[in-house]
Amino acid sequence: MAQMTARAPRRRTNFTYPRVGSPWTYAALVAILIGSAFPLYWSLVVSSQSNDAIAKVPPVLIPGGHLFDNIARVFDTTDFAKALLNSLIVSSAITVSVVFFSTLAGFAFAKLRFKGRQGLLIVAIATSMVPHQLGIIPLYILMAKLGWTGQLAAVIVPGLVTAFGVFFMTQYLTRAVPTELLEAGRVDGCSTARLFWHVVLPAARPAAAVLGLFTFMQAWNDFFWPLVVLQDNPTVQVALSSLASGYTTDYTLTLTGTVLATGPILIVFLVLGRQIVGGIMQGAIKG
Amino acid sequence: MNRNRAFGRRLARVASAALAAALLVTACGSGDSGDSGSEKITLTLNLFGNFGYKELYAKYEAEHPNIKIEERTAAYNDHHRNLATHLATNSGAADIEGVDTGFIAQFKDKPNQFVDLNKLGGDKLKDRWLSWKWQASLGKGGEQIGYGTDVGGLAICYRRDLFQQAGLPVERDAVAAAWPTWEKYLELGKQFQSKAPAGTSFYDGGGQLFNAIIGQAPTGYYDTSDKIIVSSNPEVKKAWNLVAQSIKDGLSAKLIGSSQEWNTGFAKSQFATIACPAWMMTKIKDQSKEFAGKWDVALVPGGGGNWGGSYLTVPKQGKHTKQAAELAAWLTAPEQQAHVFTKQGNLPSTPALYDQPEIAGFKSDFFNNAPVGQVFTAAAKKLTPQYQGPRAGDIQTTIRDALVRVEQGKQTPDESWTQMVADVERLAK
Amino acid sequence: MTALHAAPTTAKRDEPEPPDRRSFRWARIDGKLSPYAYISPFFVIFGIFGLFPLMYTAYVSLTDWDLLDGENHTWVGFGNYSELLGDPYFWNALGNTLSIWFFSTVPQLLAALWIAHLLNHRLRARTALRVGVLLPNVTSIVAVTIVFTQLFGRDFGMVNWVIGLVGLDPIDWQADTWSSHLAISVIVAWRWTGYNALIFLASMQAIPNDLYEAATLDGARQSQQFWKITVPMLRPTIIFTTIISTIGGLQIMAEPLLFAGSQTPTGGSDRQFQTVALFMYEQGFREFRFGYASAVAWTLCLVIVIFAIVNYLLTRRISNDED
Repeated sequence: MAQMTARAPRRRTNFTYPRVGSPWTYAALVAILIGSAFPLYWSLVVSSQSNDAIAKVPPVLIPGGHLFDNIARVFDTTDFAKALLNSLIVSSAITVSVVFFSTLAGFAFAKLRFKGRQGLLIVAIATSMVPHQLGIIPLYILMAKLGWTGQLAAVIVPGLVTAFGVFFMTQYLTRAVPTELLEAGRVDGCSTARLFWHVVLPAARPAAAVLGLFTFMQAWNDFFWPLVVLQDNPTVQVALSSLASGYTTDYTLTLTGTVLATGPILIVFLVLGRQIVGGIMQGAIKG
Repeated sequence: MNRNRAFGRRLARVASAALAAALLVTACGSGDSGDSGSEKITLTLNLFGNFGYKELYAKYEAEHPNIKIEERTAAYNDHHRNLATHLATNSGAADIEGVDTGFIAQFKDKPNQFVDLNKLGGDKLKDRWLSWKWQASLGKGGEQIGYGTDVGGLAICYRRDLFQQAGLPVERDAVAAAWPTWEKYLELGKQFQSKAPAGTSFYDGGGQLFNAIIGQAPTGYYDTSDKIIVSSNPEVKKAWNLVAQSIKDGLSAKLIGSSQEWNTGFAKSQFATIACPAWMMTKIKDQSKEFAGKWDVALVPGGGGNWGGSYLTVPKQGKHTKQAAELAAWLTAPEQQAHVFTKQGNLPSTPALYDQPEIAGFKSDFFNNAPVGQVFTAAAKKLTPQYQGPRAGDIQTTIRDALVRVEQGKQTPDESWTQMVADVERLAK
Repeated sequence: MTALHAAPTTAKRDEPEPPDRRSFRWARIDGKLSPYAYISPFFVIFGIFGLFPLMYTAYVSLTDWDLLDGENHTWVGFGNYSELLGDPYFWNALGNTLSIWFFSTVPQLLAALWIAHLLNHRLRARTALRVGVLLPNVTSIVAVTIVFTQLFGRDFGMVNWVIGLVGLDPIDWQADTWSSHLAISVIVAWRWTGYNALIFLASMQAIPNDLYEAATLDGARQSQQFWKITVPMLRPTIIFTTIISTIGGLQIMAEPLLFAGSQTPTGGSDRQFQTVALFMYEQGFREFRFGYASAVAWTLCLVIVIFAIVNYLLTRRISNDED
């Protein structure tokens, strides 16, 4: 396979790409970052205050000293540790599966020729065009029949594949993997599986990282379906719902739960974020 | 949900005082629960918010060694959507499901989904509850689908300092005397508004006021044959005209109930009065700490009222409906309601407890030492039952939206009324 | 729809000369079956857990079905659909959906392209910056609700405060059609721009550097390179984000629900910002009309199909200069 990666010999001129960011680039990005981070930051602020902070006008912008009290209240009110573990299991399983199966199917749709390819791809995309909210009722009936209600499998298994992921990888691999590279591999007698493993998977890394982020995030924040099926074995979002208190809203407690629930995703972000950055560094494969 | 703790704590002693009477009433409900088999069973409860039952479960489990109790909670809307889903799929519902006043009419319309508690001894317990509370969860064929937990009662909470600035009477008896009827209440409002501090309106929002007014009418949105009579009932039109006129007079702060802006309105002194059930006191204390002693509570015009409160229902799909019904009866017995009141401040739905001198005489510091126990129980007792058809909750929202259109200046009261009537007729389908 | 791809994926290829007969046979089997093997996990799992619910709701949409009264439903054929076509609430919701979708999606995709371009520089702290743009998407909807309700508040909102500084009258954001659509579009765009930017970024990284290098040597300016190289090379991705935004944007439900503030799914006092998905939710989970709500779901699906095709054709034309 050596000759493939070495395909594009580089002339080292003074050209660099991507270009170095100018001060304007930084300024624009920092402004975007502040706008993006503000609601999350503000949640942290409120979760460190007492309940009347939410009503303050102008809004409170500096953290107070109640954060740990409030965290203790969250853990008192719900079995939050178990919920975190459940969410971690569910989201990780779904992420690994979605990324792998999507890359696999995306490779087939993007680079292999077979009968019904276009039709099947369209069918796959079309499946995401029906709003899913009402589907919880038949899905619940199905899970009850399978005896999976209350078990993590009820949330994991339907999430193992997504049309989004397949479509995403198809579109990405179309451009990211040069067809000539695959042709060359075939001439060398590589099987499809070997091509997938040695050419497609490495090339898919940046997109896989992005898809992984999205999938993890969506699985982590999913609420509608887990609430119905996992009430006695909650995920984080289900546990958050149980923090709400009847007629009056305890914003502090709710937002503290929110902040606690977001922490793990941020960690995943930083890990996968490096991967996205890493993707750029391996210019060779993109030849 | 009412968590008027201080109010409750004082009642610790009342609870024991009520115990004797309560035991008498509950005797028939819990009599045979001890010998319902030796097999260990788990009873589950799905509730929204905190019903204050945690300690009671331990007590019940101690008395019934074969029973284990598990409670699960979810947010208000999530909980009711979940319950509907589980009823629809005929599986997954808990043994006992909490249902709020706002949803009970819709659920009692399908009594076949729930155990008829009357068949499990409920009919003998009937006198425990306020009559309107009992009727609100009664199916058309006389099936009782849920035992009442708490009620809201209704009073008017008002700001003494703002009243004083506007030159109105300040003491609660004088205030109550000034508004024996809603007409007088709004007249006082006009007086207030003419001298009101900038940024302050007389009441919070038209939708909430309308609910308080229509709640006192003998008939509301439905006649007893489940026909919607919104457009023909003179009581509805009368309440509408009152509220619409008062919006025109600038008395409304134009805030939608339960919205975030409404919550902020307490602290920003956006309104001087608000229709106020017992659970609202906690909210007011939370949202406007700096106005301690400046709030007060007076009797509601017309005297009676309720906002909020819940029921414990037993879905038919459960495996242990008999034991669940026993537990529901026990949790809602006066003795336990007294305990919940102590812990959580939820106003009991069992009038036997109201007559306890310590409840009736209970006062709140935050509300300028108002005799809140007396005020709220009086309103709850005085409320006359009003028949609620299945879509009552949706009709209420539709009328609120119609009044909001008037408040937003999108439509005249007449245009809005016409559209509202059409929207409500659609619900009749 | 070779279509979803920018270029024909594999040119008709000449079968390479086989080294020997056995591996030739194997290569043929491999070539024929592998594609199906690779796509089968998706279709098998989807077939069991995705298709059944879809077919079920399709059936339910042909019945009069009260959610609370599951045993009691009657076949009404296309009754729900014909009622829907005559339902002013539905047409109102459809108009709102298209308006909110348009005002959120178009600026959102353009901004995403721009942000991706910015992020595609050599930057310090690039991990933080890249991950940072995704924060709106991680932030729990509860926090989003609270913050944006404050921003667009009528009496004490920050936006109105700024408007007041300029000397304009405050706006009751919820009251009017235009103002509520604008506010909701801002929330939607805020939540999803970074998401699309990362999708673009991932594809930008796959563009071979030689192209830029050659263009630089030819004296092409940066902006020319962006429009002549980057955008055409991103074509599959632009098609992707357009279709995905169409699917997602026409199903918008959470944002208008949270914007209403009171958790009622009517979308404002005059339904001025009720979307079709929210209308479906109201019918299904507030009025418990499961049959009617299912008809709404399938009608919305049809609308999405139409718009996805139109958008697909449009995007294909816009960036067609390459082929």
